[in-house]
Amino acid sequence: MTTAPYKGFNMSVIVKCEHLTKSYGDLIAVNDVSFRVEEGEIFGLVGPNGAGKTTLIEMIEGLRTPDSGLIKALGLDPTKQGDELKERIGVLLQTTSIQPDIKVKEALRLFASFYQRAPDNAEELLHTLSLEDKADSRFKKLSGGLKQRVAIALALVNDPEILFLDELTTGLDPQARRNMWDLVETMRTQGKTIFLTTHYMEEAEKLCDRVGIIDYGKIIALDTPRNLVNNLSAESKVTFNIEDKDVATSKFELVGAVSRVEKVEDGIILYTRDGNVTLQELVRLADKQKFRLSNLRTESPSLDDVFLTLTGREMRE
Amino acid sequence: MKLRGLWQLAWSEFKLNLRNPAMVFWSITFPALWMSLFGAIASEPIPGFEYEGLNLANFLLPGGIGLVIVASAFIGTPINLTTYREAGVLKRLRVTPLRTSTLAFGFTLSQFIFMVLGILVLFIIGKIFFNVQVLGSWAALIGMIVFGMITFLALGSAIGSVVGSWRTAAVVTQIFFIPMLFLSDLFMPISMFPDWLQPICKALPLTPLNIFLRDIVYGVPLEGLWQLGIMAGWLVLGSIVTLRFFKWE
Repeated sequence: MTTAPYKGFNMSVIVKCEHLTKSYGDLIAVNDVSFRVEEGEIFGLVGPNGAGKTTLIEMIEGLRTPDSGLIKALGLDPTKQGDELKERIGVLLQTTSIQPDIKVKEALRLFASFYQRAPDNAEELLHTLSLEDKADSRFKKLSGGLKQRVAIALALVNDPEILFLDELTTGLDPQARRNMWDLVETMRTQGKTIFLTTHYMEEAEKLCDRVGIIDYGKIIALDTPRNLVNNLSAESKVTFNIEDKDVATSKFELVGAVSRVEKVEDGIILYTRDGNVTLQELVRLADKQKFRLSNLRTESPSLDDVFLTLTGREMRE
Repeated sequence: MKLRGLWQLAWSEFKLNLRNPAMVFWSITFPALWMSLFGAIASEPIPGFEYEGLNLANFLLPGGIGLVIVASAFIGTPINLTTYREAGVLKRLRVTPLRTSTLAFGFTLSQFIFMVLGILVLFIIGKIFFNVQVLGSWAALIGMIVFGMITFLALGSAIGSVVGSWRTAAVVTQIFFIPMLFLSDLFMPISMFPDWLQPICKALPLTPLNIFLRDIVYGVPLEGLWQLGIMAGWLVLGSIVTLRFFKWE
């Protein structure tokens, strides 16, 4: 795998993985993976369930020991210098749970006491995460979204230099998911390095400065979301209905930039190398030939298409 | 070891145990009720009782102490351990800088505090309503209590390490706890049971604890100190099983 140089930031490497491998019996969970995360960026690992995301992130956190390969996080080896590393990172596990009967405020105080130098930021965290009125609620009484916010607050009690967020929004309703995204944006402005995993392409595309696509334990692509999509040279789609059913589909093959026409049950799809050109010419054609277009919409390729192209499979949960 | 983290963990786990109705009932309310209800049947010194000047509550006090220890260690430790493991609490604690030893010590300390509370409640009720007395050495009493606590905590954590889910843990602890109530000389003398059952009774960890606590409370010379070896055996067994089978997730 070649890693494209990342030009968005010019800062120091904060996480470095080289030829990382981890197996469980016959299953190779992580297979010879190398990549770097730069200071201040939001780095995302995206891939289907079982692709190796959690194994990879937990090796960097020091929870799992790699079979072979090298990890440096903040210049430390998670296996040998785990205690020192844990002082300086914040972790949101895939499923975080804390003592069911503990109150939110108590949990913040408890977790803060585990760190050498934790700032006294409980009130501030409650405020940032909009948990003020839940400060005295027991953890088990909270909804999934609120639990996830508490888990993030706990990951922030030591004002970490890197924040690891494993499956940040899995299982959350759309509203809670959007709140999480806003939170990540807030943390980005505070200059924290964030390492996240997700199996939602949309989420990776929206949040991450750089995305590594992982499948069967290997990183199969790594770049900014925009570059990943552009390098795909995938086609955009222009979809529409025509009210006059007699219009022959063949005439659309001549519309600018169109490479292929497909007639589907509820309309016509034009595959195009340039959505703008096709759109303009299509409208002009309709105008000239007096037929009416309806439900006109365009779709650009997304990270989902990147995954599809690279693996030949749809990414499903 | 971070003392602040250790203390916060122990104190917070102690408070969480207080929020657990099953824990409070079995290790505080039940032993106190047991001593008080039976103690109230005969609150005056029992005529002809072999230990002069002691009443029934005083007879029940050492058993009550044993009950506090067993209930707290057998209900609190395995169920907390399995619940925390199943829910991922242990794993979450593991990504903090807290050392494993601190974590283990913190959990143990929280159970200690809880047991001390349960025993204090027994003593306070006993003192106020039944004028219970300790005729033997307080140092021996405290030493014996601490030895009992450690032994049963090791057994409790062994169960919590071997058993997977908290539901199973609840069943397994009942299997150990309930027979011990009857077979450990708490209120039914072992000599009542058939011959084949008696060695089993004597091999249970609560039996020597109960017998020695009673002897100390009555102020009679301790005999058969080799029986402490039975407790020590259980302690070693519990520790080995815990170290061998403990899992974070």
